[in-house]
Amino acid sequence: MRNRMLRISSVLILMTVVAASMAVLAAQTPSGSKAQTPSGKKALPKTTTDTDAAIKAAAEEFKKANSLKTYTAAKTPWGDPDLRGVWNTATYTRLQRPDELGNKAFYTEEEAIAEYKKAAESDAEVDPRTVHYDWKEYAMDAWQGGTRPNLRTSLIVDPESGRLPSLVPEAQQRRAAAAAAARQRDPMLGIKTFGNLYTRCVLGLGALPLVRGGMPGADSAATAAGVTAEAFFFQSPGYLTIVMQSNNDVRIIPTDNRPHVPSQVRQWLGDSSGHWEGNTLVVESTNFNSKEPATNFLGSTDQLKIVERFTRIGPNTMRYEYTVSDPKTWTRPWSVDTTMPRVDPSLIYEFACHEQNYGLINVVTGTQIRDREGTRDLRGNGAPE
Amino acid sequence: MRIGLTGFSALIAVVAVFWMAAIPASQGQAPAGARQAPAVARQTPAAPRQAPAAGRTEDGKPNLNGIWQAFGTANWDIEAHHADAGPHNEIMGAWGAEPAGMGIVEGGTIPYKPEALKKKQDNFKNRMLVKVTNDPHRFDTGDPELQCFRPGVPRANYMPFPFQIFQNRDQILMVYEYKGSMRTIFMDKHQDAPVDSWMGWSNGRWEGDTLVIDVTGFNGHTWFDRAGNFASDSLHVVERWTPKGADHLMYEATIEDPTVYTRPWKISFPIYRRLEPNVQLLEFNCVPFVEEMMYAPIGLYNPPNRSAR
Repeated sequence: MRNRMLRISSVLILMTVVAASMAVLAAQTPSGSKAQTPSGKKALPKTTTDTDAAIKAAAEEFKKANSLKTYTAAKTPWGDPDLRGVWNTATYTRLQRPDELGNKAFYTEEEAIAEYKKAAESDAEVDPRTVHYDWKEYAMDAWQGGTRPNLRTSLIVDPESGRLPSLVPEAQQRRAAAAAAARQRDPMLGIKTFGNLYTRCVLGLGALPLVRGGMPGADSAATAAGVTAEAFFFQSPGYLTIVMQSNNDVRIIPTDNRPHVPSQVRQWLGDSSGHWEGNTLVVESTNFNSKEPATNFLGSTDQLKIVERFTRIGPNTMRYEYTVSDPKTWTRPWSVDTTMPRVDPSLIYEFACHEQNYGLINVVTGTQIRDREGTRDLRGNGAPE
Repeated sequence: MRIGLTGFSALIAVVAVFWMAAIPASQGQAPAGARQAPAVARQTPAAPRQAPAAGRTEDGKPNLNGIWQAFGTANWDIEAHHADAGPHNEIMGAWGAEPAGMGIVEGGTIPYKPEALKKKQDNFKNRMLVKVTNDPHRFDTGDPELQCFRPGVPRANYMPFPFQIFQNRDQILMVYEYKGSMRTIFMDKHQDAPVDSWMGWSNGRWEGDTLVIDVTGFNGHTWFDRAGNFASDSLHVVERWTPKGADHLMYEATIEDPTVYTRPWKISFPIYRRLEPNVQLLEFNCVPFVEEMMYAPIGLYNPPNRSAR
C-alpha cells in the first residue's frame, strides 16, 4: 500500500487548473520545484521520486498479491464483506492485446515486471518538444500512484483474442457518420462538442467502468486518467457509494438487488443495482443515455449494459471484473478481469472541474484562432471519446 | 473535547433510551430508507447477526442513513420575502416566479456590516449576470447556482432537491442530487481544511444524539440563496443535526464571518425523510444545461460550420 499524500497535493493543484488545459497548467508550474509537498516539510516516499524504487515496490506488492491464496474477507460492522478504501484504477495494461502478442494471454512474472518497467520509464520520460506539463513533477504518473504490474497482456479476457469484438453494421455506420459530421463541423471548434465529456467537466474519467486500460502518456486523456485514477469506496448498510477523484463523479449502488429505474430515465452513469454473491458484490448498470451522437462508453448506445464484480482478494487488492454488452454496438459481449490496488489515505478531495474550467475557454479559443489562420493541425477529428 | 469513553458510552446509552422511546414502532428493523428487495432475490442469505435497535446504528448512534429533503423557499431568499415575478417573466410566467416564505434566519435579519449589505444588494441586482472569463473574475458575477457551481454549506441542505446521507462509524458521506455534489464528514480524524473549497471541510462529532459538524475552509464564492445573501472565505458554519423522530430532524446552523457580519447568526428549519417506496437520488448533472448560457456569448458554444465558409 502506498502513501498517497503527495498525489493528493497534486490533485489540489489540479482543482485550480483543470487538466483540460495543458496551456494553463504550464503557466502554473512552480519554478524549480522538484516533486515536493506544498508545506515542504514532509520527506517524500522514494517511490514517488525514483522510478527504480517505485518499480521494485510495485513488483513486490504484485508478487505478494499473487501469492495470497486464502484471504478471508474482512467484514463491516454490519456484516457485509468490507470493500472500503481508496482503490487505484490506473494501469499500464492495455484494454486490447497488442497484435504482436497473438494468443499469448499471460506474461511470465519476469516479463510482466519488465513490461511495467518499460511503461513506467516511458511514462516518466518527458519529450520537451511536445510536453506542456511534466506530470511526474506532481507525482501524477501512474507508477508514482501505486499502479502495479499485471500478468495479463490485455484487460480483455473474453474474447480469447484479448481484442474487442467486431462492430455490428449499424455501429460502423454511426462511426462513419460521426467522422463525416466532424469534417463539416469540426467539433474541436465549439465547446458543446469539443473533445469529449471530460474536457467539458460533464464526466470525469472512468467512473463506469472503473479500469479502462491504456498507456498513460499515449494521449492526453489517458495521461489524465493516470493522475486522478482513484475511487473512494464508501460503504454503509445497504449501499456501496463510489466517489471518484476525477470530477468527483458519484455512483450510488444499492446492494438490495432492486429493480432498475423506469426505462425512460436515462443517465450519464446509468442506474446501478447490486447484490452480494458470497464475498463478491455484483453490480448491474443499465439506463445509460440515449443521446445522438452516442455519448456512452466507447461510443456505445442506450442498450449498453455493464455488469461489474468486486471481490476483495487481499487486504490491499480488489479483483475487478466487468462484462460489457450492447447489441447495437458489438457482435457479442466482452469481459475484463483485472485488479485494483488500495492506496492511502482513505479519502477524496473536492474536484471542482466545471467551476474553474478555464482550460476549455483557452483551448477552444486558441483552436478557433489557429483554424482561421489555417495553421491548425487537423488530427484532432474523430468519433466522440 | 475529551471525555472518558465509559462516561461517554453511558451518556449515549441514557440518551438512546429516551430517543428510542420517541421512535414509532413502524420503523421496524429494516435499515432506514431501504427498499424492499424484488421478488427474484439473487441474494445469498446474510450471516446471522444482531440487528441494531430501531433508528440506531451498530454503535448506538442515531441512524441518519436515507434520503432527506428540506421543504421551503429558503433557496430563493433565506430572509422573509413575498412572492414576486421571476427574471424573464415575459417568457417564464408563473414557472419562473419566486414563491413567498417566512425565512429561516433566527431574528429575521442577517446582521450585515453596512458595506456588506451594499454588496448583497448588488449581488441581487446582478444575480443573473454571467460573464465567463478564464480567470477568477468569473466568480464576481451572478448566483453560482445559475452557473451549475457547487452550492456550499449550508445552502446545499435547503435547495429544492433531495440528498442522501450515508453513515458509518468513521465517516458520514452526504451526496446532494443538485450537481451530484458531495461532502465527507470526518468523525474519526479531525484536521484543518487542507485547502479552500466550495463545499468546505467538515469535521463532525456526536453531542448526545445531535450530529455537530464544524465546517471551514470555504473559498468565498458561494451564496446562500438567489437573493444574493453571501459570505466570504472567512465563513465558519457550525451545523447541528438533531433527530426529532424516525422521519424528520431539526437542522440548525450558526453562521460566523467577521468580515461580513457584525455578529454570528443562526438559521434553522426541519428536514424530512423522503418516504416514497421507490425514492432514489437521480442525476442532476447541470453542466450541459448551462454551457450555452455561459459560452455562447463568447462565441465558443457551437462549432462554426465549415461548409458555410
